[in-house]
Amino acid sequence: MPTFKLDGQEIPFEPGDTIIRAAWKKGVEIPHYCWHPGLSIAANCRMCLVEIKSARPMALPILAWDEKKKDYVETTKNKLQPACQIEVTEGMEVASKGAAVEKAQGAVQEFLLLNHPVDCPICDQAGECKLQDYWLAHQKKLKRKDTEPVHKPKAVRFGPTIVYDAERCIMCTRCIRFCDEVVGDHVLDMRERGNKNEITVSPGRELDHAYTLMTEHVCPVGALTSKDFRFKARVWFLRSAPGVCNGCATGCNTWVDYDPRYQRVYRLRPRDNEQVNKFWMCDAGMMTYKRFHEDRILTGRVRQEGRVVEVPRDVAIEASAKVLEKSQRLAVVFSAQHTNEDNFVLGKLGREHLGGTALYLAALSPESVPGGWKGDAILRHPDPNPNRAGATAVAGGELRSTADLAADVAAGRVDAILSLGWAAGESVEQLASLANVPHVNLSSNIGPLTQVATVVVPVATTAEASGTFVNAKGMAQQFQRAVNAPLGIKSAWETLIEIGKRVGREIAFAKLPEVRAAMPATTAAVAAAS
Amino acid sequence: MAYAIKKPGRTVADQSYVVEAVKGLGVTFKRFFQNTIGPAENRKTATIRYPEESRDYPERFRGVHRLTHRADGSPRCVACLCCSTACPAQCIYIEPAEYEADDPRHGYERYPRVFVIDELRCIFCGFCVEACPCDAIRMDTGTHVPASWKREHFIFDKETLMSIPGKDGTYVTANPRHEPGDPTHPGLDREKAH
Ligand code: SF4
Ligand code: SF4
Ligand code: SF4
Ligand code: SF4
Ligand code: FES
Repeated sequence: MPTFKLDGQEIPFEPGDTIIRAAWKKGVEIPHYCWHPGLSIAANCRMCLVEIKSARPMALPILAWDEKKKDYVETTKNKLQPACQIEVTEGMEVASKGAAVEKAQGAVQEFLLLNHPVDCPICDQAGECKLQDYWLAHQKKLKRKDTEPVHKPKAVRFGPTIVYDAERCIMCTRCIRFCDEVVGDHVLDMRERGNKNEITVSPGRELDHAYTLMTEHVCPVGALTSKDFRFKARVWFLRSAPGVCNGCATGCNTWVDYDPRYQRVYRLRPRDNEQVNKFWMCDAGMMTYKRFHEDRILTGRVRQEGRVVEVPRDVAIEASAKVLEKSQRLAVVFSAQHTNEDNFVLGKLGREHLGGTALYLAALSPESVPGGWKGDAILRHPDPNPNRAGATAVAGGELRSTADLAADVAAGRVDAILSLGWAAGESVEQLASLANVPHVNLSSNIGPLTQVATVVVPVATTAEASGTFVNAKGMAQQFQRAVNAPLGIKSAWETLIEIGKRVGREIAFAKLPEVRAAMPATTAAVAAAS
Repeated sequence: MAYAIKKPGRTVADQSYVVEAVKGLGVTFKRFFQNTIGPAENRKTATIRYPEESRDYPERFRGVHRLTHRADGSPRCVACLCCSTACPAQCIYIEPAEYEADDPRHGYERYPRVFVIDELRCIFCGFCVEACPCDAIRMDTGTHVPASWKREHFIFDKETLMSIPGKDGTYVTANPRHEPGDPTHPGLDREKAH
């Protein structure tokens, strides 16, 4: 691979790379606002100016103060060039530090902050704002302008999810380019010039496509804020765990941002993965974090004489064991919402130990997703389940649907059900026949399957347990536990082992790697690879 | 240069202990009677009859916290969480919220929906006051936390903190600002400001 020199460091590049991209690939950051690895180059912020030492200097004539002569003298200075726009060539020598570059960076910072309100205390970006970071790194001085800054509209509603603050905007146009290039919807544009510049929404439109929260995420400053996250938490209190989105079969990589003090998830952010989601996520996917805390099942539930009674978890496990012991023709329902590990242990208990032969898969259908679900050509997969491929693979072949299960129950071919997860493509009414046989369900949230179950045992959500999903492309992706499950609740596979113990079936897994090691070779291999 | 400190010699009276102990008790009792019995002017020591009497604390004494008010009576605090971030005792709990759409401060302003200080955990370091960019939290009340038997009494909520005046008796601060929403503030839109 050809290389070039950045501040004395040898950096490899591929032909066509710009200086900033080559450095970024190597993990070296050149300060920038308008450049984003997933967007086209605008080169309008000028924060990335560097000195190209090897090229023929483009000398600008200037006057410089000469200490000896006590006068200004005519001299030249090397013209700095934007690193985000200049393609690297073999052997190029670039300086992103040094007096000239640092002076330019400080000056650009000062310029960007001239009319900036710097109302960081009330700004939601505080703590992850590039202006704050680079001010500290490159300027660290007061601005010299002491007149009132230009005031522009604040808290402008751009759409159902986004609020815009024109005063804080640095006109990097990342949001415009994101909408144009990634979403293909030219809903944002810029108007006016100079210090009256601001971003506007197309007349008669709202910022309401399926990727609006990403515009907030690409904004390097606090100009665009998400209504959902606005004023909920300060980012410096949050920790991040690598997650995989539960929203659809694409399996976008996420950062699960949670507050360790309250064990609460506050938002999902895209985690860069060139093969899956590049740098992006869709709105619906980012909102799936709500499921971690809303409509949760936190105690056991047992149906007695038609009424649902909340019982401690232990009692629910005891009740499940009683149901499963008596069963002769057990139906085992895998879940496209649960991890490979959960589904695998479910198969172990239900099939190998309890002799269940009728196997089904509970999966959401596009119509059963609140608000509906539609795939698109960007990220959203038509299948709104994160792990249909994985659940099918660990179950060892094609599974029948929950609609088939309802029919089988009605026909008397099943005398008990062991099901995983809350999600199903059918409504409670369509699944009503499932309530006719004893039905053990392991769920984290309330859903159609929990409502037709005889016994519900609470289990952890995907934020509360580590695991593996296999996406529609067949890639297995691991994610890590972010928060602790409340009230002694455990992950589904651990709970299944506990239930197994009560019915006298020992499943000898103590740790997640042991489960993974026991999984069928194909799924285990991909799980280990990711 | 090292030098030797001369120790006072001991007399037989010192050695025998009893005499000196009685002398010492004598001093104790003299002070005791001087300070507890008889008219105030006779008292000789620094003791005062707390809590009936109290002394003024020094100017920079860090007393119990208060939350300052804006002109309209709303808290100056913008719930930025700088104080709770700085607090080494982690005794400040804040839940931010947004002013409603019809409020003149809407858009600009966050405010604390909940603001709680656990004064029992507080070590009165004053970091919160240092950290506050809005001069919203101050420790210039000149009083300390009143004693109580109950733990709950030390959990000061927003209303309590806003009900404590400063040493000057007012609820505002000596450092006024042009606050968003105030008529003096440059305004919300470009047209109004230029
Ligand atoms: S964008 Fe927000 S956090 Fe960043 S400098 Fe401006 S006011 Fe402060
Ligand atoms: S709103 Fe944000 S992303 Fe858009 S131009 Fe302004 S600063 Fe850039
Ligand atoms: S005085 Fe110190 S310990 Fe007390 S609340 Fe303020 S920062 Fe916390
Ligand atoms: S008291 Fe001051 S530092 Fe604390 S949240 Fe309010 S404005 Fe911020
Ligand atoms: S990042 Fe190069 S000009 Fe903005």
